[in-house]
Amino acid sequence: MSKYAAPNIALLAILAAGAFAATRPQYGGILRVELRQNPETPDPPPFLTHGFSITRWEAGRRAVYEADENAAGGRPFLDTVEIVMGRPLRDQSNDLELGRADVVELGPAEFRRQPAGRHVWTSSPVRVLALVFQARFDDARVREALALAVDRTAIHAVLLQRQGEISGALLPQWLSGYAFLFSTATDLGRARQLAAGARPISLGVTDAATRPIAERIALNARDAGLRVTVAPQPDNADVRLVELRIASAEPARALAALAASLGFPEPARGDSPEPWHTAERALLDGFRVIPLIHLPDVYGVAPAVKGAPGVTPLGEWRFENLWLEVARP
Amino acid sequence: MMFRTRLLLIFTVTIVAAVGMVEVLVLASTREAFERSQTQRADVLTRQFRQEFERRGQETVRTVTAIAALDAVHKIALQPDSVEYYDYAAPLAKSHALDLLELVSGDATIVSSAEWPARFGYKEDWLTPGADWNRRGAFLRRQELDQRVTLSLGAVSIAAEGDHKLYVVGGQELDRDFLATLVLPEGMRVLLYRNLEAQFSAADLIGATGPAAHAEQLRPLIERVQKQRREATATIGSGAEAETFQAVPLPGLDNSILGVLLIASSRRELVRFENSLLGTGIAVAGAGILVGMILSWWATARITRPVRRLAESAGRVASGEWNATVEVSSADEIGQLARAFNRMTGELVSQRERLVQAERVAAWRELARRLAHELKNPLFPLQITVENMQRARDGYPEQFDEVFREGTTTLLAELTHLKQIVGRFSDFAKMPTPEIQALDFHALITDALKLFEGQLAQAHVRAVTELDPRVRTVNADPEQMTRVLRNLILNAIDAMPEGGTLTVRTTALDGRTRLEITDTGQGLTPEECERLFTPYYTTKTHGTGLGLAIVQSVVSDHGGRISVESEKGKGATFRIEL
Repeated sequence: MSKYAAPNIALLAILAAGAFAATRPQYGGILRVELRQNPETPDPPPFLTHGFSITRWEAGRRAVYEADENAAGGRPFLDTVEIVMGRPLRDQSNDLELGRADVVELGPAEFRRQPAGRHVWTSSPVRVLALVFQARFDDARVREALALAVDRTAIHAVLLQRQGEISGALLPQWLSGYAFLFSTATDLGRARQLAAGARPISLGVTDAATRPIAERIALNARDAGLRVTVAPQPDNADVRLVELRIASAEPARALAALAASLGFPEPARGDSPEPWHTAERALLDGFRVIPLIHLPDVYGVAPAVKGAPGVTPLGEWRFENLWLEVARP
Repeated sequence: MMFRTRLLLIFTVTIVAAVGMVEVLVLASTREAFERSQTQRADVLTRQFRQEFERRGQETVRTVTAIAALDAVHKIALQPDSVEYYDYAAPLAKSHALDLLELVSGDATIVSSAEWPARFGYKEDWLTPGADWNRRGAFLRRQELDQRVTLSLGAVSIAAEGDHKLYVVGGQELDRDFLATLVLPEGMRVLLYRNLEAQFSAADLIGATGPAAHAEQLRPLIERVQKQRREATATIGSGAEAETFQAVPLPGLDNSILGVLLIASSRRELVRFENSLLGTGIAVAGAGILVGMILSWWATARITRPVRRLAESAGRVASGEWNATVEVSSADEIGQLARAFNRMTGELVSQRERLVQAERVAAWRELARRLAHELKNPLFPLQITVENMQRARDGYPEQFDEVFREGTTTLLAELTHLKQIVGRFSDFAKMPTPEIQALDFHALITDALKLFEGQLAQAHVRAVTELDPRVRTVNADPEQMTRVLRNLILNAIDAMPEGGTLTVRTTALDGRTRLEITDTGQGLTPEECERLFTPYYTTKTHGTGLGLAIVQSVVSDHGGRISVESEKGKGATFRIEL
């Protein structure tokens, strides 16, 4: 077994659900959720699609959902779900500790620091961390050099604390079944050859949580003779470190959605893994996008939150079957 | 230049030179003393700085040792898999006020790095397992960071748990903040050259406030220290901006020169002190020179007063005051000179009196001779006439009347002659004061020549005039000047008994007029020329010898002078300048 092998998160989720099932459901209360992202769109993203209706939307700051009395599966136990956005991971973790939040996102560092017995919800790897070159960056040798220089294993083992899966594919292994066919090996010798004479490039990263990963990539690139500067302004950067979400459980649709989000042409559709693989291979040829790691959504949950895990394997929130052990007024 | 002025100048130059020399000597000795003091001060401060540097190193060692002693660190040392501690170093460094901190596993793999968090998993090959790091103390290290390279004062401590060990590598970055924490006295500053590049880089020379200005000026000193690997000193800049730099090499673990510490001591105080000293010196020297000049003035006046009196007396003697004397007020050389002068003037007066007396006697003798000669001529006919008249009355009474008539006629003629002689002598004795007026000199000459036309023709003398038209008027007494002209023309005619040429020439000089009357007669000997103007001296067989004496007297009364130029047989020229 590898030194950096992933833990069995699914097993942890099942054990957690079993623990929740031991209490009686109660109606009422406000579930407070905190998120790192802060979408400033006029319309709210579809955070909750079952059992709740949005009653308040403050773009980028706060969203409030109320229980839908006429929901198809019956009224949710919770009265209200309040989502606070734009909270750094460390602050979320502190809020969870201090009882100011019920559900928070956990980054690798925060996940590691959770006290024993903390309830954690984990999805399947539904986010792909990838390097995406600007369309104007047309030096394929440098792109390939960077792809060969990145040491995914160290990033996965140390910076991500073994969360998620190392991958050279856009679609995760659990979804496509062929992700292992895409190489993740480093080849510094070849990378140095390709990077010879390359000009310095900038690596843009917006999320402070992923900045250490970007800096490690810059260090790897340096070993290959590439000078990479991590820049907080990604708009003008040559390459960006981005997180892409798997939007569908159907590989073809998921791949199409990823291609669309990357601004690539729509890949050819098919009914079997072979055309999917071919389409994905076509997307990855040229190294304009370099997949690195597939990451799950991981949430820390307060002990008062009971019921089935509130997140599906695809990362979708399902709060209609949750309740709070001591309902808040 | 006056003697007194010269003396004063010599005194002044001597004083200025002496004061200047003293000033220079004082300045030089003061500068040397100050320099020595500055050097000692710089040495002391350098030692202090080194102690401070060592203290900071020991502090770093203590801090690193304290970190290595933490239970948490020992726990990491025990972990077979330390991936979860990759971000452990940064907060630990912050809480212990270290700029740099790395936790490195026993196989020299970085577990966590505060200064470059992304370097986990990399090797620190310089951490050799055989070295006794706990006793090594602080050392300098060239540290590569994400975007730059820096120099650090670091230490290593080992947290050991059985066979497991963890290196704790901590340090302070030697940057401007580090330099800013060093306490230095006023007038001193510290610069640090971090030898981070292969070539000299001005950006790597830093001070407590940032990159050092004029880094290129320090380049030779830095390169010298790097090459010679020992301390060196140099003064950079000029004037008040100059600084003396003591450059100290900072070796690293492998004894390579990783940095050069430059302790700068400003020379501003020295320059200020020198300027102050110079100002004071100039004031004192100025006052000294002024006092010296006053004293010199007084001394020279004292020294030159007798000399000046001597000069004045000599001047008086020159102007005819032969009995002038000077006061003898000292027994020195000047006194002796004064006494000699007084003796000399006394002797002069005495000799002059004797000479005058002798001349007077000679003149009286000459006068007596001339009188005798002049009077003898008419007296002899008088005597003969009277004797004839006596003989005629005794021997020839019938002829007596006729003899008497002829005799009285002769007597009257001779008496008239005698009267004329007496009149001429009387005229010479009674030369009137000239009545000066503007004369047409050329008209005066023409009239005088016209008067002698008959005599000139009779003597076969041709008269030639060469009159300078620039000569217009002359200020003179017309009667006396006519007399001068007649005397000279008559003398010239007498000098040419066999005829010749008489030339009258005028020349306008610078503010003066020259008159020359030249004859082509027999000329004069030098002796005759010398005595020519002596009263009653004459070279002629007739005449009183007063003509030229009168001419000289008139010319002298007019403020002019007369001279004669002649050679025997070649004529003579009388020259008058008015």
